[in-house]
Amino acid sequence: MSIFEQLQGVIASTLKVPPAKITETTKNEDLPASWDSLGHVNLMIALEQTFGVILDVEDFPKLISVPAILQYLRDQGIE
Amino acid sequence: MVKAKFEFDNFLKAVSRSELRDLVAASRMKLSLPQVQQIIAHAESLEAATLPLRLGIIHTYTSDLLDIWLAFEAALQGLDLQTYHAPYGMTFQEAHAGSGLLRHQPDMTLLMLRREDLHPDLAYPVARLSPSHQDELRRGVLQGLMSLVCQFREHPVGQIVLTLLPSLNGPGLGIFDAQSERSESAWWARLKAEIGAAFRESLRSSLFFDLDEVLLQIGRADFFDHRFWYSARFPFTAEAAREVARRIVGLGAAIKCPRAKVIVLDADNTLWGGVIGEDGMAGIALGPDYPGNTFVDFQRRLLDFQQRGFILALCSKNNPADLDQVLREHPHQLLRDQHFAARRVNWEPKPDNLASLAKELNLGLDSFIFVDDSSHECAAVRDALPQVEVIQTPAKAVEVPFCLDQVARLEVLSLTAEDHAKTEMYAQERRRRELMENGERTGAGSEPYLQSLAMKMKISLDCAAHLTRLSQLTQKTNQFNLTTRRYEENQLQEFIGGDRWLVADFSLADVFGDSGIVGLAIFALHADRRAELDTFLMSCRVIGREAEGAFLHALLKVLAERGVGEVVADFVPTAKNGLAKDFLPGQGFLPSGDGRYVWNLERQQPRPESVFPIAIQMDV
Repeated sequence: MSIFEQLQGVIASTLKVPPAKITETTKNEDLPASWDSLGHVNLMIALEQTFGVILDVEDFPKLISVPAILQYLRDQGIE
Repeated sequence: MVKAKFEFDNFLKAVSRSELRDLVAASRMKLSLPQVQQIIAHAESLEAATLPLRLGIIHTYTSDLLDIWLAFEAALQGLDLQTYHAPYGMTFQEAHAGSGLLRHQPDMTLLMLRREDLHPDLAYPVARLSPSHQDELRRGVLQGLMSLVCQFREHPVGQIVLTLLPSLNGPGLGIFDAQSERSESAWWARLKAEIGAAFRESLRSSLFFDLDEVLLQIGRADFFDHRFWYSARFPFTAEAAREVARRIVGLGAAIKCPRAKVIVLDADNTLWGGVIGEDGMAGIALGPDYPGNTFVDFQRRLLDFQQRGFILALCSKNNPADLDQVLREHPHQLLRDQHFAARRVNWEPKPDNLASLAKELNLGLDSFIFVDDSSHECAAVRDALPQVEVIQTPAKAVEVPFCLDQVARLEVLSLTAEDHAKTEMYAQERRRRELMENGERTGAGSEPYLQSLAMKMKISLDCAAHLTRLSQLTQKTNQFNLTTRRYEENQLQEFIGGDRWLVADFSLADVFGDSGIVGLAIFALHADRRAELDTFLMSCRVIGREAEGAFLHALLKVLAERGVGEVVADFVPTAKNGLAKDFLPGQGFLPSGDGRYVWNLERQQPRPESVFPIAIQMDV
């Protein structure tokens, strides 16, 4: 499974949206009802648990889109 | 990793919610949020959650992020959870008619407060205050907190559960704090004890749930996630959130599920390691060394559950003499004969033995928790008696002492003196029964037996000190109960406080011991010199001793002395109260034609005390 597909699954189950609604360009603003501030915290927790990374508080406000998260994971050496 | 994957896949193979719950309880695996979602979805595909649990949360820090863990624990317990989160920081505002909380009609209201919310002075170190100023601050904190909780208690908010978020830091004075006269930990410990006492003494259906206990279990470093705390006001790590949610939902289960009353224990490989019939007294594992020490600890834990009001019973396939010898003579056995309310030691199928234990103890099988190491026996009981909760003793001895700690129905929300002594009372009952059976064998009938008990009844009128027990009796008594009306403590408090009601209870003592409070009658007193018997019930523990009649006639006498002319009473049939069907006519009440019963005190005298084998003492 590609990193994107894994991420798609995590976002879908954490924010309770259909996976099809999450593409390689999705941003938090595209899912206003679910990717809100609480959803975002849940997503940060789920990312850590799924990919085994430890995020900094400073990373939270940056990781608000699929491309930003994918780039972050690549920077951590997760392919 | 492979092992964890295998374990997780096993969860998704569970065929019932209870199996899923047991698998998760027995596992030490940490679960990620996506995995939790999968388990919830699997639980929901298995069977519908039939019991609704409506939870209201008042909070001064982020509580919404607990939702997934609450949903997870509710899915395991088979509860249909509906949660309302009050707006952030709104506390007093929710204790008003028409608030979001009251519209939610909660079964349980959780108050999640931070320590610093309790008093503005707590923004500064407690250790800066002299001991007397510390006492003053504690009084102020307690007063403010009680007034907040009382505001909620005035409304129908269900069971109140108060929590305080533990301190993010260790005590202000560091290691020296433990011996300082200004110790911060000692100050908080005292405050918590005072909150507990205030709840116990003056608040009904309210519980102080000490989150420090969760902190101790998990450890401070793993309890708080500083990143989420400072950036999102959410304090908990996933581990802490899960454990907090587990305990909260557990309290919900204790409220909504049928009440557990009995723990039925297997003996071999449950109370000790090995098989007494084969290994003998010297061969079983029970004592100061591994693995015997784990079983000693498990027995010690069982005595804790006994103090919570659960009664213990034995169900073992063994020769009775072998088992007796362990109970009587084994130097490290903690559970002795008097700790068991009843026992079945034979070679009959266990489901049959459980059914006969239920009959002997006069308790429903849905109040049974069955503990056995054998998967065969566990399956047989699950199969034949699905209403019994089955816990399999772990195969690893080191896990045995803790195998009941996650059983939600073993939490209690209140305790009475009767609860602490319950098994003792059942054991007395067993000795009474033996005496009676002796009498029957010799053909003497029941009268000499009842006389030999030398019974004394103590009747209390409008006694507020008994409220917890009286409410408990209305909730738990199904069989000898004329009307089966259930009352919360605050409702009973109104009856006791007002002069339009008479609330009477009794306890019964005899040569074997004191039963505690086992009977309750509530009369509504009307202006036209009429009284209506709203409630009349008696615990099955004292059935067959003529106590119900003695109690009724003593109360009729009290009513006559107070000028009541007529007493009206009803029998409201239910699936379980057939036992009480003929009580009213049997005692001399007359059918009044409209399906009710009546006693005219002007024409008909109550029976005198002397016709009953019981001496009565009125405690007014």
